[in-house]
Amino acid sequence: MTAETQKWAGRTREYDLVKEFVIALLVVSVLTVALAALFSSPDEKQITISTWSRHAPNDFVLTAATELDGTSGTATYGAPYTHTADAAQKIGPVSLQHIAGVTHPVDTVTDFVITPLTGVPADSALTTALGQWQGAGTSQRQRWASSYDDALAKVTDNDPAKVPPGDYGPVPVMLNRLLTMAQSGGLDGALLAQKQFFATDYTKPLLFIADGSYLEDRARAQHLGGDQWGMMNETGNYPGQAWLWLYTFWYQVKPFSTSPNADALVWGLMALLSLALVLVPFIPGVRSIPRWVPVHRLIWRDYYRGMRPPDGYLSASDVARPVQVSRRPIGGQVHDDDAGADAGRDREHDDGEAAGASGYGGRSV
Amino acid sequence: MSLLPHGVTDVMLASGGAPIDLNHPGHYVHWGVIQISVANLIVIAVMIVLFALAIFLPFPKGRGRR
Repeated sequence: MTAETQKWAGRTREYDLVKEFVIALLVVSVLTVALAALFSSPDEKQITISTWSRHAPNDFVLTAATELDGTSGTATYGAPYTHTADAAQKIGPVSLQHIAGVTHPVDTVTDFVITPLTGVPADSALTTALGQWQGAGTSQRQRWASSYDDALAKVTDNDPAKVPPGDYGPVPVMLNRLLTMAQSGGLDGALLAQKQFFATDYTKPLLFIADGSYLEDRARAQHLGGDQWGMMNETGNYPGQAWLWLYTFWYQVKPFSTSPNADALVWGLMALLSLALVLVPFIPGVRSIPRWVPVHRLIWRDYYRGMRPPDGYLSASDVARPVQVSRRPIGGQVHDDDAGADAGRDREHDDGEAAGASGYGGRSV
Repeated sequence: MSLLPHGVTDVMLASGGAPIDLNHPGHYVHWGVIQISVANLIVIAVMIVLFALAIFLPFPKGRGRR
């Protein structure tokens, strides 16, 4: 009979896992309802293009101008939205974004400006402006849009009314009508228009809003910025996602805090650390931590009371003493305590004390 | 005549209806590169206390089934 098939011959104790599960479920359910009744939930109002354009019209028009001349964040993002070369983040020479390709193509000129405006009825000035735009060549359009964008960026408060006269073609009229459409809520609907019955794809309106500074300003005011440990935070005074502390921690320190590839690098690092966590039972040294910090022996102290810790294990009161690594025969072979995963598995079946390291030692459920 | 259910006031509705309204600007602790909300600190402290209690409180004894 091999060590894997030997029947457990040590002490056992009954443990009602179902009872514990039911009690835990009830306690958590009652706590959830009670805390929800006591504290409710974050009630931050949704930010739409309509609210953005009404609260910060100048920021909206300036952002729309960057969509039109192709300099916005979305227009230059790269995969999965655009084919902008060298735009994607990299891990070393590898660009995972480009490997996946442009899976959700966005043409900011057409999708964010021209197509929504073509749906505006009974506006002769707009119809003329759109005709002038569509009748012009690509370079002419670019000159109009860039000129207007530059002029808008220079005037006080980016106020369109203060833009000096210039060769902007139909751009001022188009952006003025786009602002009116946005403030009425029409642009939200136009960007959400999809083939399916339920509108669930908010990609375009979100990208458009994120290109402006209004959303970022609101987020930073709520400590939700990437360099503010924002992943951990919630709006208002509510607790947030404390378990994301490690992920967001990397964004606060160099080289990640100053790297243009921070997202990709942090993702790669966390993927590596997650893999290490999964492989803990196979990593020499790390897998021995329960022996050095025997919390399980504290939890199951009734079981362990009066028992001498096996070789290589420390009792809760012995953690300051040096670890003794044993070499003893197991199943006819000699194993080091850290000699490999198989040794650990053999020992666990061979020694009830060692089985306790898994948290289930000496129990039958 | 109010159409609100008994005991529900306009103030409660305006504040989200919760006895304790947390929809106010948050409080944050800064310590070097570390920046954490007081709410998160409280939750972490509660988790540590629960962990300690779970370790040090004795298991309830079964009815002679050992």
